[in-house]
Amino acid sequence: MSEEKKLLSFVEKMKLKAQQQKNYGGEITATEAKMATCTCPNCGAGRAKQDGLTNCAYCGHAFVDVKLTDGLHIKKEDNSK
Amino acid sequence: MFGFGKKETAPDWLATVQETEQRWFTFLDKLEARMAELCEAAIPELQQMMATDDDQFKRTYLKVKAGINGQLENIRQKAYDAYDEKILSVYRNISDGVSAFSPYHDVISDFRDRCSDRYHQQFDQTYNTWWDKIAQTEQEDLEIKYNAILADYKATKNDFHCSQCGGNITIEKIYFITTHLACPHCNTQNTFEPCTQARSLEHIARSLAEQRTAHLLQAYNDELSRERDLYHQRHILHLSMIHDKIKDVITQKKQHEAELENKRQASIKSAPQLYEIYLREMFNEWNKIVPDIAEHNERFYQSQLKQFRATYQ
Repeated sequence: MSEEKKLLSFVEKMKLKAQQQKNYGGEITATEAKMATCTCPNCGAGRAKQDGLTNCAYCGHAFVDVKLTDGLHIKKEDNSK
Repeated sequence: MFGFGKKETAPDWLATVQETEQRWFTFLDKLEARMAELCEAAIPELQQMMATDDDQFKRTYLKVKAGINGQLENIRQKAYDAYDEKILSVYRNISDGVSAFSPYHDVISDFRDRCSDRYHQQFDQTYNTWWDKIAQTEQEDLEIKYNAILADYKATKNDFHCSQCGGNITIEKIYFITTHLACPHCNTQNTFEPCTQARSLEHIARSLAEQRTAHLLQAYNDELSRERDLYHQRHILHLSMIHDKIKDVITQKKQHEAELENKRQASIKSAPQLYEIYLREMFNEWNKIVPDIAEHNERFYQSQLKQFRATYQ
């Protein structure tokens, strides 16, 4: 009986230790889904798609310099001309 | 000359061997009892932790599981060391001095065999059984997670608004990565960031597809063991013919042997087909869960298939 108790407490101890231990990389916080827009830093207009996504549809300001490649939702055609 | 016919008196190591064997068996009994005690206490604890660990990756559970596995490994290491130290050393010390012609030669090799079987068969089997049982606590019904994602999507798909004009944007499908969505009213490109739960869809998709098609993989594995089984049946039959003299019996057995071989060949042929069925079905399920990456998956499927076929040739 005492042997069993000792062992149970061993597993318990291990559990406690695991719970107290800090995770490498920190806690994970679950985030909610959200919607946001980037406004153009040049003219203040909301981001819209004219000939592509990389330049502002209104003033032509370049949002990003990189060339987009095919992804799941963004395609090569989304590069502004 | 070699001492033939001379009756040997029982050597004085006989008692040592008997005692060592007895001790070894008791020692392994004790280790097995300790494994059982440890695992019986740990398994319900682990199952409970798996069910209640809020961490997305069940890290607390995984830490405890790793700890328990470490304890099991320690116990096995003890047996491993003791076998070398107590059994093999006794065997080597004594067998060096025992002539191969001595009637006691068998005693010492039988001692080693019995101790080895007790360790390498019974003890290791017990160890593996517990290891598997601990591993089983990690199994999780992914359908529950998947249904939670689906339910969350259905409940929230109409809750989003364009951050420019405030118009409603319906989320058309489950997005598991950040994406641009055009507002149908003002045409602004909104950045939609899915929640953590939806993001996990990509990570559970394959495991869920495997879970759904596990019976097909099982069918393939069953076919593999059926082939082995037929092979052994035939082997035993073949060996039994060595001393057969009656012609009828031999013809009958040969016929049976041919039948077994035919069955075995059929099994060898059908096993890879079963695996290919599984692979296709698994990828179909996977694509159903995340249709967005179907195109990418198709390439992956082709390479897996090619690899499998290459190993079968």
